[in-house]
Amino acid sequence: MTEEERQGILKRIGGSVKEFLYGMAGHDMTRYALKTRGSMEHLFILITMGDLLGVPILPPYYSLRLLPYVVPQISTWKRRMLRERDLTDALA
Amino acid sequence: MSLARIFEEYPERRYIMYGGKGGLGKTTFSAATAYWLAKQGYRVLVFSVDPQASLTDIFEQDIFGKGPVEIMPNLFAQEIDADRHIQEYQEEIRAKIREMYGFEEVPEEIESYIQAAAAEPAMEESAIFDKVVDIIVGGEYDYYIYDLVPLGHALYYLSMASVYDEWIEKITTLREEMQEYAQVAAILERKDETEEDQILAELQDIRYRINTSSSILTDNEKTAFFFVIIPEEMALVDTQKAATKFAEFDVPLIGYIVNRVLPAELADEDIPPYLENRIGMQKEYLAKIDKLFGDEVLARVPEFERDITGLDMIARMAETMFGGEGT
Repeated sequence: MTEEERQGILKRIGGSVKEFLYGMAGHDMTRYALKTRGSMEHLFILITMGDLLGVPILPPYYSLRLLPYVVPQISTWKRRMLRERDLTDALA
Repeated sequence: MSLARIFEEYPERRYIMYGGKGGLGKTTFSAATAYWLAKQGYRVLVFSVDPQASLTDIFEQDIFGKGPVEIMPNLFAQEIDADRHIQEYQEEIRAKIREMYGFEEVPEEIESYIQAAAAEPAMEESAIFDKVVDIIVGGEYDYYIYDLVPLGHALYYLSMASVYDEWIEKITTLREEMQEYAQVAAILERKDETEEDQILAELQDIRYRINTSSSILTDNEKTAFFFVIIPEEMALVDTQKAATKFAEFDVPLIGYIVNRVLPAELADEDIPPYLENRIGMQKEYLAKIDKLFGDEVLARVPEFERDITGLDMIARMAETMFGGEGT
């Protein structure tokens, strides 16, 4: 193995490590962004549909208008709301 | 300044509201103004949200919950039936859910929520509010005449606009922020497009409508609010209080119209002391009204010998209020 070949391999390994690390960090950030959005989604439903849990909300006319869009989330949201201790955790 | 001149000099004021205590003549003045404007060739809609609305009575035609009904050429009247509006709206929501997810029936949990939401007292108010927004944003007429509910309630409706304004602003901002996170994730994942957020689109539409209507109703150049008063102590005290409150909500108050004034000529005739006393009392309060409101008193309308119902009487009232049928 010549010196050049060895350097070429090291370079390739270095590049892979770099990409790997970058991928890790980027992936984490993506997950973080999606998780935050997910938490906000629940916060949002709480604000607009809160009366499903007994939290009085105004104005009902407009929450009904949004209802069709959140139908699939209603059951997971209710479960999460009952489990979550502190709402602000979700936003942190 | 006379009432007719206000209309002639400010042709941009196309949203007219009459407010005041119950039973003082809001509906009468609304109908007469609509008549006067329609006779001049303007397309006019006079509408009411009161479940006990009297437009049906004054036009002697059942219009409750029937949408805009043409009373005579250019003159349309509408009484909003909130209950029916809510029922239709609920059905619309159900249909949308069935269609979006291909359900045969709306899931039970969702259905009970739809029913519970409709039973709330706030539902009726927000439904009425939205219907008024609908009418105002529609823009099909030259003039809109809003026959308001009695004072306290009217204040409530007008204040709702600013409360809803803030509510929708906050929610829409939150939703927009959520959309930003979704976009960041999409960029990191190297997706070209983010899914369109339908909820955000709905919210933006609601926000646009609420903003538009609340800005019209508080715009001095587009809206004129008139107080109806009568020369009596109670009416005066209440109106003064209300005027301060209305000012807080930026309602563009243009002036006062005094209704039920007993003809002063009567005093010269041989009349019983009962009537003489009443005329004396009114004279006192009329002086007080002039002192309090000065130039803002736009018209004094006499007590008629019979109640105002039917187009002939409305025409007479319009003539008294505006002086002739206009040109």
